Amino acid sequence: MTTTKAPGADVRRQPGARPRKPRRYGAWLLNGAIIVAFFWAIGSLEDLGLADLIGAPAKMWDIFGLMFSPPDWSYFPTAMEGMVESLQIAWIGTMIAAAASLPMGFLAAKNVTARVGSTVTRQVLNAIRSVPELILAIVFIPIVGLGAVAGALAIGVHSIGTLGKLSAEAIEGIDTGPVEAARATGASQAGVMRWGVLPQVLPEIVAFWLYRFEVNIRAAAILGIVGAGGVGSVLQNTISFRRWDKAGMTILVVIVVTVLVDATSSAIRRRLIRGSTAATASDPTTEVVA
Amino acid sequence: MRWTTPAAVVVAAAITWWSASEDFGIGLSLEEIASNFTRARPIIQEFLDPQWSYWPAIVDPFMETVKMAIVAAVIGCGIALAAGFLASKVTSPNTVTYLADKGVLSVLRSIPDVLYALVFVAAVGIGPLAGIMAMVFFNIGIVAKLLSETVDAVDLGPIEAARATGGSRFAAVRTAVFPQVLPNYLAYSLYVFELNLRASAVIGIVGAGGIGQLINIERTAFRYDRLAVIIVAIFVIVFVVESVSIAVRRRLV
Repeated sequence: MTTTKAPGADVRRQPGARPRKPRRYGAWLLNGAIIVAFFWAIGSLEDLGLADLIGAPAKMWDIFGLMFSPPDWSYFPTAMEGMVESLQIAWIGTMIAAAASLPMGFLAAKNVTARVGSTVTRQVLNAIRSVPELILAIVFIPIVGLGAVAGALAIGVHSIGTLGKLSAEAIEGIDTGPVEAARATGASQAGVMRWGVLPQVLPEIVAFWLYRFEVNIRAAAILGIVGAGGVGSVLQNTISFRRWDKAGMTILVVIVVTVLVDATSSAIRRRLIRGSTAATASDPTTEVVA
Repeated sequence: MRWTTPAAVVVAAAITWWSASEDFGIGLSLEEIASNFTRARPIIQEFLDPQWSYWPAIVDPFMETVKMAIVAAVIGCGIALAAGFLASKVTSPNTVTYLADKGVLSVLRSIPDVLYALVFVAAVGIGPLAGIMAMVFFNIGIVAKLLSETVDAVDLGPIEAARATGGSRFAAVRTAVFPQVLPNYLAYSLYVFELNLRASAVIGIVGAGGIGQLINIERTAFRYDRLAVIIVAIFVIVFVVESVSIAVRRRLV
């Protein structure tokens, strides 16, 4: 980063001499690189249409006005129906991921699985994580057909990556006492896992599941734009046909339901576990900065 | 409290049954999924046999995606720098600003990136501009929130020292707080750049430019062999950028 030398350390000590400012080559280099990259990107983007920006704030304000003054309340049942389906997709997806990620978590934990096995599993989990849900949905739709099942599968597969990684980290942080105790009674490897490891990590892992459910609600709210069920198709239709009052109603439903379910889920998480920053992270939109 | 565990299991099972059921939920049936997978063998085969010769066509859209991600990350993180300081009790000038900023940020974060993209495409038309705007809003919410939490946890000593020398509030923030949170701020910026790459694949599907727009074209043309090439490319780029970014972030923080 910046130079670590104390400011003015090399100044000859004359009475009244001001310490010289430290030179920050690293900072200049970084700033320069960012500025160059920024202008290169802006300059070479074709059809950017920066002129459209001038009218944008006024237009956004108009749209905002049309959406919420007032929203079309008669559209509430349609929006709510879509949102409930999104919640169901998120729940089923989370359950699929929970079931699959628990064994993966054990396989990826360095203190349970041998080095090669845990490293390979960890890379597999990372790989799964790097494909967005919506892309997975595009893959699943031609296979299982348009609809919520494709969405649930997409969310389920994608979440295995994060949940497996978080579970593995929880398992790596266990107290070895109960493991030794179980082994001393002559328990098999499976027995040690069941009685020595699982009880220690289960509350934390269940908290991760709930956390992932909250993240997944947001994903499930938009999957509908490719036809994978939920409220996304309602959003897409109302906005692209510029039925702003209906779109406003739908957005309102999405936000309010998301916030309410979040509040419930994070209250349960906080009761399940205290102290783990990842599991108690209050806000699923920022995910976990690994 | 021993009854809570069985009760929780029962509630979770009930929600699962309700969500999966044909009548009330999404109609999840394992047999149907299994039979679909067997019936869809030709499609799966097409996915598994990418048309590699297609790759030159994806270079330009990918460059567009990368450029959009850079522009949005720079603008978004710049705005988030101010918004983040205002959203921490340590550096916010007064309670009203603090609460207002926190409120605005939590609304910003509750809106999914694709929803921003849908609205901006409607407002400024199809193309990268809408995508950049969507990502900017998406980035402000995340970076400002993470930054404000970091500022909350700074060492208060340097602030006191700066104030004691007669430094203004702003000067204290600039010289006593900013250097403390800079590494974290850079790490968050890198993190959202990485999120932008992934997001742009998705927001392009609704017309906001970048690789997503190409995904939409091939998706609606049922060209699964070409989709496979795009997906592999996204996968590789996200994977590489993420690995580099995680390594850099570990060194920063």
